[in-house]
Amino acid sequence: MKNAAAGVSSLSDIPQMSSPRVLAQHRTLPVVDELAGLFTDGGIRRGSTIEVTGVAAVSLASALTIAVSRSGGWVAAVGLPMFGPSAASDLGIKLSRWAFVDDPGDQAGIVVDALTAGVDLILIGPDIKLRSGHGRKIVARMRERGVSIITVGKAGFCSLRPDLCLRVSEAIWTGIELGHGRLTSRKLEIERLGRGADSNIRRELVWLPNREGRLNAFDRKNKSVTFSRSSHRVSKRLFGVDEPVSWAS
Amino acid sequence: MTLINTRTLLLIIPHWRLIAAGVACDQLAVVVDSDRIVDVTPAAVEHGITLGIRRREAQKLCADLQIFVDDEELSVRKFDSVVEALESVTPRIEITTGGWCSFPTRGPSRYFGGDQALAQTVVERTLKVLSAMFETDEVPSYIYPRVGVADSRFVAALAATSETSSRVQVVVSGGNAAFLAPLPVDVLTTKESPLSKAVDLVDVFRRLGIKTLGDISSLPSQELLARFGSPGLLAQQLAQGVDDRASLLRPISNVVSEESEIDPPVDRVETAVFIAKAFADRICQQLAAQGLACVRILVEVETEHGEISSRLWRHERQFTPIDITDRVRWQLEGWWKSETAPTGSLSLVRLVVDETIPDSGYQLGFWGEKTANDERAIRSFTRIQGLLGPDSVTVVQRGGGRRLVNIEQRVPFVATNFDPNRVVDLPELTDAPWPGQLPAPLPITVLPQAEKLEVVDSDGCPIRVSGRGHMESNPAYCQSKFLGRHLIVGWGGPWFLDERWWDSTKKIRQARFQFLLANDTSHLCVIENGQWWLEASYE
Repeated sequence: MKNAAAGVSSLSDIPQMSSPRVLAQHRTLPVVDELAGLFTDGGIRRGSTIEVTGVAAVSLASALTIAVSRSGGWVAAVGLPMFGPSAASDLGIKLSRWAFVDDPGDQAGIVVDALTAGVDLILIGPDIKLRSGHGRKIVARMRERGVSIITVGKAGFCSLRPDLCLRVSEAIWTGIELGHGRLTSRKLEIERLGRGADSNIRRELVWLPNREGRLNAFDRKNKSVTFSRSSHRVSKRLFGVDEPVSWAS
Repeated sequence: MTLINTRTLLLIIPHWRLIAAGVACDQLAVVVDSDRIVDVTPAAVEHGITLGIRRREAQKLCADLQIFVDDEELSVRKFDSVVEALESVTPRIEITTGGWCSFPTRGPSRYFGGDQALAQTVVERTLKVLSAMFETDEVPSYIYPRVGVADSRFVAALAATSETSSRVQVVVSGGNAAFLAPLPVDVLTTKESPLSKAVDLVDVFRRLGIKTLGDISSLPSQELLARFGSPGLLAQQLAQGVDDRASLLRPISNVVSEESEIDPPVDRVETAVFIAKAFADRICQQLAAQGLACVRILVEVETEHGEISSRLWRHERQFTPIDITDRVRWQLEGWWKSETAPTGSLSLVRLVVDETIPDSGYQLGFWGEKTANDERAIRSFTRIQGLLGPDSVTVVQRGGGRRLVNIEQRVPFVATNFDPNRVVDLPELTDAPWPGQLPAPLPITVLPQAEKLEVVDSDGCPIRVSGRGHMESNPAYCQSKFLGRHLIVGWGGPWFLDERWWDSTKKIRQARFQFLLANDTSHLCVIENGQWWLEASYE
């Protein structure tokens, strides 16, 4: 009887299942929890263009691909010959489904177009330029096939209009002084600007990389970290816990 | 089941990979594929290097070792000159890989006056090519070609590779079983065997005390089938000298072929390959509809001046569209670079399926294997390779070392056999940690070519580091084309790296520094012989 009841309830689900509605979560590419706060839908909307700028742009763009690469999705990097796989691997990126097209030359448009047919996420390096005709065609393909693009540097250079802009507004290293210590971990403040539903500004604090080279959410209660001298002037304003943080300043 | 064995001659040129890499026999050299040694010169063998060991282990055994990465394309292309020389013997030559080809002996054997004479002719013609290649009269003995003639390909391959003093071995007609009987069961897993993957089965045989092929063939076949299933029966058939593939091969009722005139004619290999790719897809689809898979294919290309290149290709298992496309590329590149290179542009491409076997099935994996997702990605990478050349799409392969350029290696995607499950994330397991390796976190940006950098103190004097790590003053500014000029607000170092100090040409001695600049960017820089270099960034 139990089975029969389960059968009936699942039968009643069928109209819902067969309706053409697609939930937002199915139309997104996964993003690790530490960065999910930056996205309204909790992940990268399929078919969207994301622009990553500021210092640590390559680190942040790579961090956005962690969850996609771990869930069996393919990532392609166009025009990023300087990408360091060891650091990426430490970040938790699964590199077995990462491919690189280092130098597409003047065929960048066709290469990106070909990639939209095969991969889930495309990273475009700062030196890649697309003609505006290519840009429009690619955007249409991306929407159709649910492929997203992350541009390292201004998206305008590739004739793409970003749906979401991520900017590293502050980067602070710990562990290094003038003449002693070494770079151990870096705290990033990431600022999100977007269009439409994403138009309100959001901010997120993360360690990227932390001591082990990984990505970590920033715990504001933990004060036991000393910052390098260069950052003392801003650290109080940014990370002070005793006064309410005013982001607008 | 009617069993038709085709009497076959099989030619093997040992160490072909080394020959293709252009190595002389007295050199210390190896060829590696996916980090394993696949070919080694006699000189290197004396150092204890054997096939199958890791690249690192080999380097440990012999520090001056030259290492070549296996390049199948090059190896097949160079083999073309041998095939060309043999084409005067018979037109039906099948190439399995570089240094390994075969043909049915029926016609040529009668023409040359018997198998022995035919085999001698083949050896002589091959030797002529080899001596022209090495520009010596005396071909070194370790690459001396070996020939086997027998009633089936499997036996011919065993005859060619057997450890006898004579380099030509002819198994008399009908003598397959007698030749095989004393051989150990391990030969069932050699390259040409249909059971080459059944290592477990052979292992069980050995533990049951079944040591030779003769033992297997004397067992009752029904018991074998009951105990081991069809692989057991297949093993017995092989042991009795019946090549399973010969019985599976079927004449194709309606010939599957694709051809098309190229208008306008093209003069780029990649364009022709791209056309062949579409053919290959269609051919495999047609065969799949009949439950068949292709094991041998004829590739023919014609130029507008009427020159024709025609070649048969055999696959060890079965051709996928990508395999077929590869063969077309190899053939075209070989033709283009040969002495009989075509003078006109390509005007016709023809693919004809020559032999098929029942498709044993190819299941897309649920996990841990290729998925539909991977197939899609591979297709689009193939398209880009067709556009920009085979080396344009790369993937990561991890090596060992102290410097970032050593750890991080990129290999063309074609070289990985399109395997998305190759292990790349793990460092080499057998190796101890590298002393002097960079500690985590590692820089995410590694410049492909280090950039010159100027580092000065607050008075503008260049910073120098003594052999003991002493600096006269502290770095205050750094400047380069890539970075611009910036104030240094934090720095760490020097950390020394002293590599290969025993070798005056390859030694590296540098001091590493980490710089944090006023624009919040951080970099890894090194100084070597008084020159500063920007090696990597943490951005």
